[in-house]
Amino acid sequence: MIKRILTGGAALAVLGIGGFAIYAWHPAIDEIAPPSADSFPEAQIEKGRQLASAGYCASCHTSADGAAYAGNYPMETDFGTIYSTNITPDPETGIGTWSLAAFERAMREGIDRDGAHLFPAFPFDHFAKMTDEDIAALYAYLMSSVEPVKATHTENDLPFPLNQRFLQAGWKMLYFDKGQYEPETDQSEAWNRGAYLVEGVTHCGACHTPRNAFGAEIATQQFAGAAIDNWIAPALTSDNPSAVAWNKDAFFQYMKTGTTTYQGSAAGPMAPVVHAGLKDLPDEDLLAIATYLGDQVGADDMAPMSNPAVEKSLAAGAPQADYRKEEGERLYATACAACHYNSVQIAEGRPDLGINSAVRLDDPTNLVHVILDGVHADQGMEGVVMPGYRSALDDQQIASIAAYLRDSRTDKAPWVDLEQTVTEIRAQGALAH
Amino acid sequence: MAKLKLPPRGEATAEMTRRGFLVSMTAAGAAFGFPRAGLAAMDPAAPDGVPATPAGAVYEPSLWYAIDAEGKVNVNIIRAEMGQHVGTAIARILADELDVAWEDVSITHVDSAAKWGLMVTGGSWSVWQSWPVYRQAGAAGRMALIEAAAAKWGVAPSECTTQDSRVISGDRSVSYAELVSEGITRSFTEDELKALPLKPASELRLVGKDVTALDIANKTTGKTVYGIDAKIDGMVYAAPLLPPTRIGSTVASVDDSAAKSVKGYLQTLTLDDPSGTVPGWVMVIGETFMAAQRAADKVKVTWKAGPTATVDEAQIQDHGRALIADESKGSILDTGNSDTAPVFEAAADQISAEYTTATVLHFQLEPLNATAFQNEDGVWEIHTGNQWQSLILPSLQAALGVSADEIVMRTYMLGGGFGRRLNGDYAVPVALASKALGGKPVKMVMMRPEDVLFDSPRSSSVQALKMAFDADNTVIGMEHHATAGWPTEVMVPSFMPKGTNGEPYDPFAIAGADHWYSVGAQKVRAISNDLANTTFRPGWLRSVGPGWTNWALESFMDEAAHKLGRDPLDFRLSLLTAEGRNAGSAPNAVGGAKRQAAVLQRAAELAGWGSDLPADTGIGLATSFGQERDMPTWGACAARVKVDRATGQVTVEKLHLVVDAGIIVDPDGALAQTQGAALWGLSMALYEGTEIEAGNVRDRNLDTYTPLRMIDTPDMDVEFIESSEVPVGLGEPATTVVAPAIGNAIYNAVGVRLRHLPITPEAVLAGLKA
Amino acid sequence: MTSFTINGKVIEVDVEDDTPLLWVIRDEIGLQGTKFGCGIGMCGACTVHVGGRATRSCVTPVSAVAGAEITTIEGLDPEGAHPVQTAWRELRVPQCGYCQSGQIMQAAALLQDIPEPTDDDIDAVMTGNLCRCMTYTRIREAVRDAATAMKEAASNG
Repeated sequence: MIKRILTGGAALAVLGIGGFAIYAWHPAIDEIAPPSADSFPEAQIEKGRQLASAGYCASCHTSADGAAYAGNYPMETDFGTIYSTNITPDPETGIGTWSLAAFERAMREGIDRDGAHLFPAFPFDHFAKMTDEDIAALYAYLMSSVEPVKATHTENDLPFPLNQRFLQAGWKMLYFDKGQYEPETDQSEAWNRGAYLVEGVTHCGACHTPRNAFGAEIATQQFAGAAIDNWIAPALTSDNPSAVAWNKDAFFQYMKTGTTTYQGSAAGPMAPVVHAGLKDLPDEDLLAIATYLGDQVGADDMAPMSNPAVEKSLAAGAPQADYRKEEGERLYATACAACHYNSVQIAEGRPDLGINSAVRLDDPTNLVHVILDGVHADQGMEGVVMPGYRSALDDQQIASIAAYLRDSRTDKAPWVDLEQTVTEIRAQGALAH
Repeated sequence: MAKLKLPPRGEATAEMTRRGFLVSMTAAGAAFGFPRAGLAAMDPAAPDGVPATPAGAVYEPSLWYAIDAEGKVNVNIIRAEMGQHVGTAIARILADELDVAWEDVSITHVDSAAKWGLMVTGGSWSVWQSWPVYRQAGAAGRMALIEAAAAKWGVAPSECTTQDSRVISGDRSVSYAELVSEGITRSFTEDELKALPLKPASELRLVGKDVTALDIANKTTGKTVYGIDAKIDGMVYAAPLLPPTRIGSTVASVDDSAAKSVKGYLQTLTLDDPSGTVPGWVMVIGETFMAAQRAADKVKVTWKAGPTATVDEAQIQDHGRALIADESKGSILDTGNSDTAPVFEAAADQISAEYTTATVLHFQLEPLNATAFQNEDGVWEIHTGNQWQSLILPSLQAALGVSADEIVMRTYMLGGGFGRRLNGDYAVPVALASKALGGKPVKMVMMRPEDVLFDSPRSSSVQALKMAFDADNTVIGMEHHATAGWPTEVMVPSFMPKGTNGEPYDPFAIAGADHWYSVGAQKVRAISNDLANTTFRPGWLRSVGPGWTNWALESFMDEAAHKLGRDPLDFRLSLLTAEGRNAGSAPNAVGGAKRQAAVLQRAAELAGWGSDLPADTGIGLATSFGQERDMPTWGACAARVKVDRATGQVTVEKLHLVVDAGIIVDPDGALAQTQGAALWGLSMALYEGTEIEAGNVRDRNLDTYTPLRMIDTPDMDVEFIESSEVPVGLGEPATTVVAPAIGNAIYNAVGVRLRHLPITPEAVLAGLKA
Repeated sequence: MTSFTINGKVIEVDVEDDTPLLWVIRDEIGLQGTKFGCGIGMCGACTVHVGGRATRSCVTPVSAVAGAEITTIEGLDPEGAHPVQTAWRELRVPQCGYCQSGQIMQAAALLQDIPEPTDDDIDAVMTGNLCRCMTYTRIREAVRDAATAMKEAASNG
């Protein structure tokens, strides 16, 4: 999920001209009496529930100790903190008095009922691709099934002029494509369904596509991987660094369970995307997403055991009598190998670190996060944890383990300034869960 | 030679016997057990450790055991259980003489009540000391049961035999259970005891046979109760803050304001310790373990550091060298002719070398802990695992300001001893904290870094050895000067015997140097390193002194052999001639050096000594008599190693151990002890070792202290020499032969002589480049 | 409040989120078979199963196991007769026994993942568990025996 996106306000720099205010202005949409829960068909509500999960709306619209969808989740940006809004059907502080039209305008255009521009931390650029029917279902679910909670929005902590919402209009003018998703006729139905979901409600690109200086996704680099919330969202293209390339089956396994045998686990910001989100979609939708993403990576069937990187990693993982020769290797042998060692084949639930994306990314961030704070039961493979070594090992020791893995298991260039990276990531504090 | 006095040797056995039976006579017929049996004692086979209550009438032939009306025999064990299965070994000695079925036997590790006498578990003495006592005790019970049956049947006792908990005469038989329930009160005088017939070795049924130790099952299900598991209603937890030096630091200020926000934080105590055990300690008290730990992180203490705050290992070692150079220092052991000066003056040739060893940690896996409180009878109870209750009780009394009968120690199972828990200093701060809180139960579990800081490590050592040869290359004299921190001096100086020059010495810091090789004039000089003694508390650590003396001696024997161009095996055998003081004596050292020669020869033979080996591979030999000349356990090791010339890495491919420990009471246990001891030796040879830095040990946890692990465990063969001699100790002897065997093997593989422990790849590489 | 299942029982504990699972198990729940050794995940004495996988509980914050299923040495087998435990007794592996709960839990997990382990497999996985009595030779043997017993049980069952 996105917690750290540039505010589009930077677009202001190129848009100082008159007349802009007129372009930027939108009317308020009238309040309505909150619709009754039974005014929506069951099937529509259920569909909306799935879509709300798939879009992991609750992840950003729920604060650490707040009620679901009541907002005030702080999103750290380079310019200040933005707090998410209350989308429970509370008439005073939530969206209880929003009509479907108001809701749809917010989803499609990033404009709230009052006519104010929303910051693109809210990924309306993706939601715009959704069908009317899906947006209506989402509306039906939120209005009927979410407990109304009175929770006043915390003022965003942005400096002037970035806090001027109307300036968002400029950003939209430059970067926002309003259109709904158009199927590609030469692709299969599943592919198109997957593309619709990925580019729309599940907004994968919001994290996995790099953004430009103004915080907009760079269309020509779709899914090329990006830094997000102090983690790295790896590329969902052939540039993905996993030794065994992702394919349809791997994506499906990942979205279904939070982990794959060969590529990696859903840790950090990705954990709730799977566990509080995508997992709720019906299998056919997950298969559709997997079909589409598998095509982005472009891999065929995996033959992992004949993959040279796998062979190299397994060989490097064999116990070495001289394991004391380097600190990182010694620490790995005593603290990590019990779980991460594999022999003739890679077993599910024994992540092999030589082929895992965390060890193969150009940036050690994800690996360092996981060594420091582990993986909780609601992340990665559900119900399984990895301990955290934050209080057990110092920065230099953690750096030595990361360097050892990188050097012994992969043919990638060594990471530079590793210890400094560990120090910085440690300073971010343990992940809030 | 002077007798080693810890505990008083032969006397200890006599004392155990006398005490056992005197108490038994006055208490005959009294109820079995203790006023508060559940808390007082520990049955390692019982769920939660609580001993069963005896059924019906009870017969207590001696203090050491009782038989109840169901024929169950409970054996009282004064030794601490720390993995050596000592209770089982002792109980089976008794059960064998008593002819009781093994299923009827249970054991109880008792509290520290005065009636049990000296309580110490160390030095591999337990079985050796218990052997005569428990045999007599068993024989006495058997005699009493026979007499009762004989009287019942109107036959002569000589017409009765015993088997499997029954007395048998002709076709009549009666169970022990029945006899006890009918009432037996027979007691024995000491003379009667001495006259009791004991079984010949050939009739021993349990001794020497495989029996599963009674403590094992619970150790596979998590039920064993260690000190760290002690629970007392209403207890609070203490997290210690340790001063910058072990001795001489004082608390300048304590600021707990930041800790007050910690939920469950209670208060911070600056300990006032009249016993002088824990100067400068601060204890942070919390409602839970975590509360105490969290609060301790926030309490700010400033200390005025003691004088050793800047001492490091090099200073200690240099000080040791200076002490050795000063001939007026130290104590000369009685080795017969110690006047070596003229011999060396007249020698045709000589060889000398210096050997050193680094500081070694105990790192017993259960961190130090203790629980203390004043019970409703006003008695202070100390609940902890401890190896030498009798040593720490006086300190606890001084700390609490109470008399001996106002304090009792409940001994729990030990999560590793290795000598660390011979020094019960860790119980003192807990007692003081409880005292400060009006007797409230206080439990302290040390986090690992504190446990290590408060360790009584094996001191580093410096040794200088010299050997003199005549014109025929015959050995005519030898000197062995050894200096290290002395555990016995700092902890129980009254146990130090005096050398021939009237100076006291720590027998544990020099044992091994007074070897069984016949070398002509022989001077063994033990020197206390006072800088070590004041910087840290030198500890007894599995084998103690032989860990360094034998490293030096057995490396030096190879060096001498090579100098003379002789085979190291032949050279040693030519000196193990069992003449004069090395001839051995009954009962413990029958055969003397001949038995040492035999184990050495056997180890060499098993290892294929003299056969061709691949490049950079070598076999090294070393031998030892264990701990002490009057309780020798003969041992030898042949180590085969391969050296990687590029990295200096030493791989131990195989260890052969041959041990002659007399009768082996518990063969499987003996094997386990020897395996463990040998691997400790290997660990200290290649993988363990730290240094004193700024007054404290440098390595505080497993991230930098790196003991042997499974992957480092080589193939190992252990062979025991069949013997009908007195059984002697096994927990330590194999420890000391491994390092010199490896050092000698490295020399034989690549020609590099190493003189410092631990042996590191860097040192091997440096040797290869030299 | 953190809730999880331990040895089949649902438990709710009210402790700070960063409290190590080990101390929750020992002090809050009162299951003391799991031991504290080093506190930095390098001795293995605190090994329990979380979701069936061997996990060092001293470096696992309790918040990490919310909703998870935990098994300790007390819950490995109701009769204490897991093939690993049986092998441990038959070969008389334990000396002081302090590390053995962790060794047994680690070995049980090893055999679940690698039912027929080679010596290399055993070395690689069990090297994280320190035994200060150095019972390694017997642990190795006992793991092999347990593997055989489990294989036989599977083929008979």
